[in-house]
Amino acid sequence: MLILTTFLTNCSGVKKLEIFKEEVPRAQLNLDKPTPLQLENLRWIIITSENAEEVFKKLEEQGIDPVLWGLTDKDFELLAKNFARIRNQLKITNDLLDKYKEYYEPDVNKKQ
Amino acid sequence: MFSSLKIAMVAILITGIAGAGMYVMKLRSDNAILKANQLKLESAVEDQKQLIENQKKDFEEILNANKKMNELVSVLKKDLEDLDKRFNKKNRDVGKLAIAKTKSIERITNGASALATRCIEIASGSPLTEKEKNATKKSEINSECPSIANPNYVPY
Repeated sequence: MLILTTFLTNCSGVKKLEIFKEEVPRAQLNLDKPTPLQLENLRWIIITSENAEEVFKKLEEQGIDPVLWGLTDKDFELLAKNFARIRNQLKITNDLLDKYKEYYEPDVNKKQ
Repeated sequence: MFSSLKIAMVAILITGIAGAGMYVMKLRSDNAILKANQLKLESAVEDQKQLIENQKKDFEEILNANKKMNELVSVLKKDLEDLDKRFNKKNRDVGKLAIAKTKSIERITNGASALATRCIEIASGSPLTEKEKNATKKSEINSECPSIANPNYVPY
């Protein structure tokens, strides 16, 4: 009887459930954002066949070397558009970086 | 013979009681384990619910970020189209205009160049000034990139 009871109680025992859960968060990258640009304004001089002499004379009077880098009106337009494209790309990349930071490092963003 | 039968009966009785006692103790121990398991399962279900909630929140954030990025791309595209219009509106020829009105085109070019320079600064992360933030009129905005320089300006 004792042997039978021992068999009955030990063979059909309930196993203790074990759940393992250990999450170690990845260290945050937390790099500082690049410092915004501070650019110098440049001066455009328009030279035509009519005012060329006057322009060079004025440059000499101001102590500036009488030499100019030239662009045609079409190239000037292309330069303006190229700069606008670079600016747009810069803005998109910068905003993308902000979004990634907001998503992956929300606590860091709150502290800033 | 009678007494040995008695002894055997008593032995069986004692063994039976001991077995029953062990069985009850085992049942109580199983019960305690089951209760602990139940608690763990309930906690696991709660964790799963929390996880699903977090995932929902993450998806919403991703959708929102995507939407904002798409909006940004389209407003920047519009700025670029506006720049193109400024050069070519109604078959405008900037070269001929510059020959005819050299001084004023030079002044306009330098003004626009300064504004475009500021646009690059803003695009690189420079904070907006109060003047830029509060600009609502055409005369107050940065005409080179109103979409990023003047958040309160609504084109009219």
